[in-house]
Parts: sequence; C-alpha cells; structure tokens
Amino acid sequence: MLIADTFQEARARWLFWGLFALSTFLIGLFLFVLNIDIVAGARATVEIGPTSRTIYDIHKFVTVAYSWVSIALYVWGTLLAVFASAGLVPVLLEPGRIALLLSKPVSRPILLTGRYLGNLSIIALNHVYLIVSIWLILGARTGIWESRFLLAIPISVFMFAVLLCVVVLIGVVFESAALSVMVTVALMLISSLLAQRDWSIRLLTSEWSRQLWLALYWVVPKVYDLSGAMRQIILYDREVDWITPVWTSAAFGLAALGSALYIFQKRDF
Amino acid sequence: MSEFAIQTDRLAKTYTSRFRRNREIRALSELTLRVPCGVKFGLLGANGAGKTTFVKLLVSAVVATSGSALLFGRDAREPEARLPVGYLPENHRFPTYFTGHGMLDFYASLSGLDGAQRKKRIPELLERVGLKDWADVRIKKYSKGMLQRLGLAQALMHRPRLLLLDEPTDGVDPVGRREIRDILNGLTDTGVTVFINSHLLSEVESFCEYVAILKRGQLALEGKISSLVAGRGYRIVASGLSDGLLDDLRANVESIVRTSEDVEVRVGSREEANAAIDMLRSGGALIESLAASNSSLEDLFIQTTRTGIEAA
Repeated sequence: MLIADTFQEARARWLFWGLFALSTFLIGLFLFVLNIDIVAGARATVEIGPTSRTIYDIHKFVTVAYSWVSIALYVWGTLLAVFASAGLVPVLLEPGRIALLLSKPVSRPILLTGRYLGNLSIIALNHVYLIVSIWLILGARTGIWESRFLLAIPISVFMFAVLLCVVVLIGVVFESAALSVMVTVALMLISSLLAQRDWSIRLLTSEWSRQLWLALYWVVPKVYDLSGAMRQIILYDREVDWITPVWTSAAFGLAALGSALYIFQKRDF
Repeated sequence: MSEFAIQTDRLAKTYTSRFRRNREIRALSELTLRVPCGVKFGLLGANGAGKTTFVKLLVSAVVATSGSALLFGRDAREPEARLPVGYLPENHRFPTYFTGHGMLDFYASLSGLDGAQRKKRIPELLERVGLKDWADVRIKKYSKGMLQRLGLAQALMHRPRLLLLDEPTDGVDPVGRREIRDILNGLTDTGVTVFINSHLLSEVESFCEYVAILKRGQLALEGKISSLVAGRGYRIVASGLSDGLLDDLRANVESIVRTSEDVEVRVGSREEANAAIDMLRSGGALIESLAASNSSLEDLFIQTTRTGIEAA
C-alpha cells in the first residue's frame, strides 16, 4: 500500500509523467538521429575496405555505439532519477501528515522502507522503458541485437538504489529536496573524481594524502567504476571485476539507508 | 484487559536543540494520568502547556524522554498498541492528490482493514459525515470543515476503541462544530473512549465528562467536570447593610455586588460563607437568600492556570 501510495503521489505531482515524458523525448531524439541516416552513413564508411572485414567492423561499430549509449543512459537516467526522487521523502515528513501516518499500527522502518521501495520501483520502471526502447530502436535499425546492452538496466537501477539511500538520508535529516539533490549529485561527481586513482596517486606527494584518497575512494559508491565495467562488458564481453564496485557501493547504500532508518526511528514529529 | 484506555506514568518530554544556547525545553513533566475506558475526556491547557506533545507521545509521533504510556495496557510505542486508536491530528495535511474515498481507503488499509471491509465501511462513513456526494472529488477542493469531517471519518474507519482528537473543531464554523459534535455524540454508548485536546472550553464542558488541565507541562487539575465545577463558591444576598459593615465585608470576601435593594456577597468556600453570614447578622443585616454557586469550566481553567499547580 505504501509503495502504491508513492506511485500515486508521483503521478499526482507530475514526477511520474515528467520522468516518462523526458524519457520519451530522449527516445524520440534517438529515433530522429538514426533516421537522418547516421547509421547508413556509418555503415557506408565502414564498408569501404576489404569485404572480409566488413561484417566484423559493422558489428564492432554497433557494439561501440551500444556501449556509449549505455553510458549516456546510465548518467542521464541516474541524474533524472535523483532529481525526480528528491522531494518524495521531505513531503512525507510534513507536519500534520507524518503524525497521522505514525499513529497507524505500522512501524517507522516499514513506513520509510515502503517509500524507498515505491520510489525505486518508479525509477526501475522508467529505466526499463527507456533502455528497452533504445535497444529495440538500435536493434531494428542495425539488425544487430546486442543483449548485453540490457545490462544497463540492472546496473543503472542498482546505482540509483544506492544513491536513493543518500537522498532518503538527507531527506530524513534536513527535510530538504534541494539539499538532497545537491549532496547526491556532488557525491556522484566526487566518486568519479576519486575513481581516477592512477593519476591522483602520481600527483599526490605525501603518503598520507594518497592513503586518504584511497580510503575515500573505497568508501563512496563506485559510480564511475560501475559504468566502466558496464562498458567493458558490452564492448568486449570480457570478464571484468564488477563485484568489488557492486559490494562496496551496496555497503555504502546500506550504511546510508541504515542511518536514515535509525534517525527516522528516533526523531520527533 | 486494562480498565484504562490511556495510562501514563511519569511521562516526560524534553525537546533539545543542538543549535541554541538554551538547549532544553521541557514540554511535559512527569505526567501521570489515567483515562478510564468508555469515557469522554477533555485535555485543556494554555498554548504551549504540552497538550499536543502529550497526544503525540500517545501515538508515538514523539519519543518520550522518560516514563511510560500505555494504551489499553500495551506500550504505546508498539505499533500493535495503536491498532484500536483513531487519531485526528491538529493542523492535519492530508495528501491533496487523494479523493475523499481514496484517502479513507489508504488510511484504512494502514489501519489493517482488508479490501472487503473498506468497501463496506467507506460509504457508510462518508454518509455519516455528510460527504457522500464528495467521495470522488479531490480533497484539495474541500473546505476546512469538510476536511475536518473527512479527518474524523478517517479516525473512525477501523471502529477504534480510543479516539484521540487534537483540536477537532479548530477553524470550523459553528454549524460544522455542531455536526462534529453530533457525530461524536453518536458514539455515546458504543464504548468508545473519546479523548479531546482542545482550547475551546465550552466544547469540552458540553461534551466531556472528565477533564484534565495542563499547566507548563504539568498536570494542574484532573477530575470529573461535574464535581470540579460544583460547589466552587456561595452567593449570599442580604439587605440592610451599613457602610461600615460593607467595608468590613470587602476585606473578607471575594466580591460584593450592590443592587438597588440588596447586596450580593460572593465567597469561595463554605467556611468563608459561614464567616460572612456571622458578620452580616452581627452587623444587623438580613439574609435574603443563600445559594451554592457553580463556577464554569472557564472560571476553573483561569483559576487553575493563573495559580500554581493545585492538585491532581
């Protein structure tokens, strides 16, 4: 019921429709770009050369396109989802609304978790719509159905699930949608910066600053690493270490959500 | 089964602020209160006396600093303890995307009613609160009075045994107030305990059997209204008083009201009444009548909140 209520609220506040409208716009834009013969042009370019290499090169070209599109959707989808979700917790905590909810025979963790899951379901639905649509368009246009592209759905939803924990935590503590967006987007940028370990280790002169950089890198969610792993899998179908970024990100998310639940449990409304 | 719907034992709440120098605000100080099952109980107090904090402690919207609160013998912090409780908060904000029907359906499901029960109960209650024709209208179009009645229907959905109403007629016009009172009166003899938190003394006096008055977070007075307001003073009407006798009386009684023929002397206790009669008779005045005067709840409230903490 709490999940359904979150859906109903998202629809009533136009978040649900706005999200799907923007996704539809993106799908439309993608369709438009493909219709102006980018693919045909690209195929023609690739086909200039020895015939034996043609099929291989076209497949590679489309796979590269798939991998870059998956990254673009990952970033676009996650940012959009964070913006769309930021207000759903603060609005729940409005005086006069939360007191009534708390008076019902439902525990506080269930109330907040219901909100979290409702929010996550909306975004998951949107990601499925967006990514499957793009996959169908790409497949129909190129004739190459790269199912690995669909990995973008679980990876994007997973990363959003982690970032939503931060949105919920900030929402519970400060009851501010704007601050939730600021902190979460900042976290995404910081984690991407921290992921540049190779050059940062070279640039940093002291040992303690290198250790601090690494410690911070391991703490924050691996937004960049996971997108990199996704690209590697789609592009090369090769074994990559996706477990480490997943479990460290999941640990961060669980800690954030656990903190949110703990604070929510102790707060006065 | 507990004989009390509400039972608090040294219940206290202190709000703390991290950012202010004067960090602690004591909203409720070791409040011990018993509300028997099936009664209509009013909680009074000036603004900031701790009334809303007390009700929020009962529904676990606020976490107690110390002490305990039981609802029908169960710890109020347990979600199951709130199963028999219907609550209408002060300044409620129902989600405006709901229709009247949808709003009742949502809160009733949280109260544990299954689909079949909700389907039967929602039309019944909408009819009872006079909102049958508004069932499918979004509640952002409702007036304040309609929202209040809908809130009351929400609180009654799961046939609660305890109804906690925080300022139920706040912002409602006199007609709306009467309608709410009629709905509440309809609950009489159903065994429902009604706990009203209000600053409208007349409302509490006309509806409730029991009252408690809070003052600065402490229980200042508690009891049956009829007992508390009865015998709070005496009125002696006398004639033939000399000016000297009037001056002597003024020093010893609460008030003296002169009419064209008589003088009405008001005293606060039986002892004072007897002393005044002795003075009048020894001064040569004639006693025309003597009557016990009942004070209103308003008198009692003002007296209690102006003076120190009296007794429980």
